[in-house]
Amino acid sequence: MSHLLLLVPFLAVVVLNLLPKRARGAALWVSFGVLGLEAAAAFVERFSSIDSSAFTWLESVFGFRLAADHLSGLAMLCAGIVGMVALLVARRTLKDAGEKFFFANLVLVALVGINGIAMVRDLFSLYVFVEVTAIATFILITASRSGAASRGEQVFEGAWKYIILSVVASVLMLTSIGFFLLSAGDITFDAVKTALGAPGSLTWVAMALFLCGLFVKGGLVPFHGWLADAYTAAPAPVSVFMAGIVTKASGIFALLRIVSSTMGSALPGREILLVVGALTIVVGAFLALGQSNMKRMLAYSSVSQMGYIVLALGGDLNLGILAAGLHFFNHAISKSQLFANAAAIEEQLGTLNMDEMGGIGARMPVTAGTTAVATLSIAGLPPLAGFWSKLLIVLALWNAKEYGFAAVAILASLVTLAYFLSLQRRVFFGKTHPKWAHVKEAAPGLLVPVVALALITIALGVGFPFALRVLLGGGA
Amino acid sequence: MTIEIPQSFWLYFTFFALLLVDGLWCMLATHNLVRILIGLEILMKSVTFFLIVAGYLSGRMALAQALVITVIVIEVVVVVVVAGVILGFFRKHDSLDVENTRSMKG
Repeated sequence: MSHLLLLVPFLAVVVLNLLPKRARGAALWVSFGVLGLEAAAAFVERFSSIDSSAFTWLESVFGFRLAADHLSGLAMLCAGIVGMVALLVARRTLKDAGEKFFFANLVLVALVGINGIAMVRDLFSLYVFVEVTAIATFILITASRSGAASRGEQVFEGAWKYIILSVVASVLMLTSIGFFLLSAGDITFDAVKTALGAPGSLTWVAMALFLCGLFVKGGLVPFHGWLADAYTAAPAPVSVFMAGIVTKASGIFALLRIVSSTMGSALPGREILLVVGALTIVVGAFLALGQSNMKRMLAYSSVSQMGYIVLALGGDLNLGILAAGLHFFNHAISKSQLFANAAAIEEQLGTLNMDEMGGIGARMPVTAGTTAVATLSIAGLPPLAGFWSKLLIVLALWNAKEYGFAAVAILASLVTLAYFLSLQRRVFFGKTHPKWAHVKEAAPGLLVPVVALALITIALGVGFPFALRVLLGGGA
Repeated sequence: MTIEIPQSFWLYFTFFALLLVDGLWCMLATHNLVRILIGLEILMKSVTFFLIVAGYLSGRMALAQALVITVIVIEVVVVVVVAGVILGFFRKHDSLDVENTRSMKG
């Protein structure tokens, strides 16, 4: 069953490319269908964990073991939802039919990588799938000519920075794998866990190197330099996809996976996570405060929120993983929605410079309303979904007696609120600038996904006690 | 399971470290995008070498072989993409200077 999740998107890419040129318009919808299946599969894996023996022959074809658990289900659900939103945004914002076709294909390739990251059980396969996702994303950033004129200059620059740092991350991870081979004799998660249980200096060097590699991939401070440039340079649907799932899956989810399946509690690795997490939250939040490009502000906000997830992993182990997983989901939903909103604004106004905007709210009420929901959720206002995951993160830190870091998490929430309120004020509130007097609300094709995501945020927030029971009942 | 690290490891390790530093130096000391690509390649080669050494010393040659072949395949794909991006830069600016990669700040 698990291997099908790799095979189906892959076969879909092959089939799409065999289609005659005339039929290529269907690519977006085929891709959409595969992502829908993906989101549905997350629930199948979650509730019954079918690993039927009918598929054992598949396992013998692939040389590595896969196993789906609750965490994989989470990543798959996020990938499915975010991917569908990105495709809907692509349908509206990419002008050229060829570009749409490439986008649909590359999303499917990235999906293979993300599914792999979600289910692997050894370090090297993890590296391979992280790389598959990254390569699909490099091409996604550069392959489009749509969007603002100034962006054409920047796509290569954004992609270049991402690629160079990615290769450095690969070097770190591969060196770490070499060290693990030497110290543990094997690179499966189980072997690594055993090796970490009897700490030797070599093992810890190896672990630190691997974590550094993932910090680069996830854009955590002090390795955050590439992220804002890549997000800003990328075309609108690619930003949605990258911010929503790519960076998260290849950096943060891989980290989540490694912490949950190789590190026990009370290991020195926790201190690294706590310090990097707190640093990322604070630096990211203050960098976001100073931005005037909307996508750039959202990108730095992403950096800051990734810090929360890493901080949670440094807290109480079980609660921390639950909190991190929930924040992962909430942030994937809200941030992809915000990037979709930014795409709508760019589509209608032709700019993302917030200093030029003002009073757009009266002209684009739906965009303004959904943006408010997402920003308030990320800032952690009850009763929206983001409040609960932040509460759990603080609790996880409190349980681990990390009171200082819990305080950082709470105080940085205020900075988050500050930059998002500044965004709201500069973009939506106030008197409408005469320049924007004739701006209209975005097309329904762009509004449907953002409204759906905002509803998910509200529903998860209000129905959180129930959702938590389902999660805990499932044994998370 | 722990593996005794033989003395020869440090010999290999020194070579790996030298190659690594060489690659990094090659990337940092130049303003030419193609040279940066070459530096990246040297970096990847050093790591590939290290994986082979690790496999050899831990007695997992078969595993190391599989890893190294996969790494080489990934590397080739990355090189193609990087070369494509460099070509894009060249077509746009008619130069290979890294200064062209510094328009975005903040």
